[in-house]
Amino acid sequence: MPMELTYLLAAEQLTVQANPLFPHATWFTNSMLVTIIVTALVVIWARRSTAKMELVPSRVQNLFEAVVETLYITFEGIVGKHMIPKVFALLASLFIFILTANWFGLIPGVGTIGFGEPSSVPLALKDISEPLLRPANADLNMTLGMALFFMCWWLFWTLQEVGLFGFLKENFAPKGGVKGFLWFALLPLFLFVGVIEMISIAIRPVSLSFRLFGNMYAGETLLHTMQSIGAGLPPPLGWISLVLFPLPFYFLELLVGLLQAFVFAMLCAVYIKLSTTHEEEGTSH
Amino acid sequence: MLGTLPMLAAEAGNFGPFLPLAFAGLGAGIGVGIVGGKAAEAVGRNPSAFGSILTMGIIGMALAEAIAIYGLVIAFTK
Repeated sequence: MPMELTYLLAAEQLTVQANPLFPHATWFTNSMLVTIIVTALVVIWARRSTAKMELVPSRVQNLFEAVVETLYITFEGIVGKHMIPKVFALLASLFIFILTANWFGLIPGVGTIGFGEPSSVPLALKDISEPLLRPANADLNMTLGMALFFMCWWLFWTLQEVGLFGFLKENFAPKGGVKGFLWFALLPLFLFVGVIEMISIAIRPVSLSFRLFGNMYAGETLLHTMQSIGAGLPPPLGWISLVLFPLPFYFLELLVGLLQAFVFAMLCAVYIKLSTTHEEEGTSH
Repeated sequence: MLGTLPMLAAEAGNFGPFLPLAFAGLGAGIGVGIVGGKAAEAVGRNPSAFGSILTMGIIGMALAEAIAIYGLVIAFTK
């Protein structure tokens, strides 16, 4: 009984909701602070290194050029040449921001410096209940905001490409070149299929946000739990286990952070492709 | 026999919140394994398509794993 209580307590160090930093402004949480820091980091670094573009690029400019070019080629392969100028800004920004925010959560100090239950050693805590910094995507507000923002743009681009009538025809009208009486006979069936399609489209922001949030929250909780595994051991062994046990999971979190950023952006591109490519088909619909 | 299962469960502690996670993890593990196996098979048949198979395999694994993540979120918030 006490054993599993310890594990539960260790996992409960990270609350699902982010902790507010100031008592009178509860909307400003520690993950929002990290969001601001990450955005400032990406924007300032990118602008400073590409301020004076040269034909033979410096190392940092080369890095940014490589990232942008790889993303452009990857997304163009999915979305198509027609849509890529409109959607590239959003997709690339999503990828770069999510990647930087995920990897920022691995920097020592994020999630480990803050307020909590004090221990005997002067500046050390026994367990931390309110960290100062928390990974930006470990907050459901952040991921839900990004997913909803993308879905609004998806709707706008879809309606801009195929029009409202084309969108309805795509989802609700019988397919396969049927005409006349057969079209009307098959209409109820396709209407039902269209309703299911609408439900699956409505689920998309939920799955996008929860996938990213779940991965980042679980990763942070995993690191906290791995850190506190050797908490009861005597000092030298306890301190060594504090650093040694999370180490393999740091590499896992590196991989998961990259993977989740990639999957988020790739799924967004696939959603755009699914609803806007049909207008390029030459067959009669 | 079956009657002693609830008693054993009550003794072992409250695992109610973790039941969705268990089943979701089972499904996700099987799903990811199937995707990985099919990807390896596809590369074996056509080694030059490694890049696009890698991309599709990673997307498939991330989608299959998302279900287990939903279960994890339920387990940690109940």
